[in-house]
Amino acid sequence: MSTHRTSILWTTVALAYGALILFPVFWMATMVVKPTDVMFARPTVFLFEPTLAHFDYVIKEGFLHSLVTSFLLCSVSTLLVVLIGTPAAYAFARFEMKAKDDLFLFILATRMAPPVCLVIPFYLIFAKVGLLDTFLGLTIAYMTFNLSFYVWVLRSFCRDLPVELEEAAELEGWSKLQIFRRIIFPLLRNGIIATAVLCFIFAWNEFLFAFMLGGKALQTLPVAIPKLITTQGVRWGELAVIGMVALLPVLAVVVFLQRHIVRGLTLGAVKG
Amino acid sequence: MTLADELNERGGGGSAVAEPSPARTTARASFWYPYLLIAPTMLTLTIVSLIPFVYAIYLSFHQAKYGRVTDFIGFDNYVTLFTDARFWNAMGVALTFVAIAVPIEFMLGLAGALVLNQNIRGRSILVPFLFVPTMMAPIVVGLLWKIMLAGSWGLISYNVLERFGLIGGTSIFASPNLALYALIFVDIWQWTPFMMLAFFAGLQALPLGPYRAAAVDGAGSLQIFFRLTLPMLAPLLAVIGLLRLIDAFKVFDTVFILTGGGPGIATETPSMLAYKMTFEFWNIGEASAFAIIVWIAFFVFCNVFYQIAKKRLNAF
Repeated sequence: MSTHRTSILWTTVALAYGALILFPVFWMATMVVKPTDVMFARPTVFLFEPTLAHFDYVIKEGFLHSLVTSFLLCSVSTLLVVLIGTPAAYAFARFEMKAKDDLFLFILATRMAPPVCLVIPFYLIFAKVGLLDTFLGLTIAYMTFNLSFYVWVLRSFCRDLPVELEEAAELEGWSKLQIFRRIIFPLLRNGIIATAVLCFIFAWNEFLFAFMLGGKALQTLPVAIPKLITTQGVRWGELAVIGMVALLPVLAVVVFLQRHIVRGLTLGAVKG
Repeated sequence: MTLADELNERGGGGSAVAEPSPARTTARASFWYPYLLIAPTMLTLTIVSLIPFVYAIYLSFHQAKYGRVTDFIGFDNYVTLFTDARFWNAMGVALTFVAIAVPIEFMLGLAGALVLNQNIRGRSILVPFLFVPTMMAPIVVGLLWKIMLAGSWGLISYNVLERFGLIGGTSIFASPNLALYALIFVDIWQWTPFMMLAFFAGLQALPLGPYRAAAVDGAGSLQIFFRLTLPMLAPLLAVIGLLRLIDAFKVFDTVFILTGGGPGIATETPSMLAYKMTFEFWNIGEASAFAIIVWIAFFVFCNVFYQIAKKRLNAF
């Protein structure tokens, strides 16, 4: 009986914590449809007539353009990362190489360097070669954190695959490409998808590079947010709309990929 | 054991702490084949990361203001930096931030993981939502708390802070004494759930054998925690704690949107200062010197992380 009671106690504690953690998100969601005239009311207004006015403004101000930009940029850079990184992740998991540890550490260091350190030389180099505020420029910049992340994490997925299948196929006289296409790729598919989706989210969330290396012609969603915070006033309702839109893919990811998030964020050190 | 069983066991993700796998994972191939496979990645990373790094070193030894690189000045930028009170202020801010935020996240995370590890109903529904604060864009996290703690009308500002007389009328982010703690609070909100879930993954993977033996011996639950759980979990705790330490030091986005380093320089973290040096003062030589110092410190941390994860956790 007592185990039953403690179970209820801990369930209550856990759910209360979850509710507390998520409450700010819920509060922002209500602001999406909260009319501006009650938004700043003291005391706080909890019940109101919902409005869609914030959506109108956001759409009128070309925010859909930012949405498309963000989506395209993240998709293209993630796709590139998958194409370039998959063979490397496989090779690092499978084969002996000279100075493998050092090469691997170089990749880790690339991932962990503070973005602000990179953005300084990037800005100057991009200004010289005309890559500032271009799609290609940001795609390249996003490689710094995503390619290294992808290789590092996918390698841990590769290590879960048994080597025997590949060896058997080799004895059958299959070519390297056949082995890759027919054995490694199908077995690794879930790992590739999980890691790629995390890359997409990192790119989707990224702010500093998008702000400094893009920002004018090329404006992603996170960059659109501080631009609405001006000295003349802050458009809170519109901000809440953009914030919630930026949150949507994240919500999808936590529901469908939760098993892999811990593994991803600890760079493969912990298998979730 | 058939291949299918083995696949299930190892690929199925039952274990969270990587165990030394009994099966061979390395394959034989011609000498050049692996290098061919990693070549595109290494080439790309060299271009996007090594070249900027080398360029930053070059800049740090030159007089470089407003985008014009002029004379070679040796270590002058470094000397200026080290004698700059603002640099030490940023280091102090980072130290305070990390020293308060990370231990709290760590302890709360561990406690939360132990709670999650109890017999909780609806856990599979709760867990995905706990990932939300960590996975959302830091800039949106900032926005969220800007809303909650906004000046006179923010939900918490008005209903909690003002009511209890902590601060009234203005946002807590405008208070020289409290702004940094508000940022720390936001960081704790954002990262504690992740620490919790990472530690939980570790707890779930612990072998049951020792616990059965302890139960037979009649060990108390505190004893079990300190004698069994904690030692078995230690490498995982170290790796995750270190990773969080590294990340917390880099904090930028939330600071940028919530305080911009202010009021004054009260919340100016190293990332924030490096940003201002570059894009507000256009003092590129000194900013590069700053970047190089931070970079080298990070190499050291990275290496420690790698060694612990590899040797103690058998990961990688």
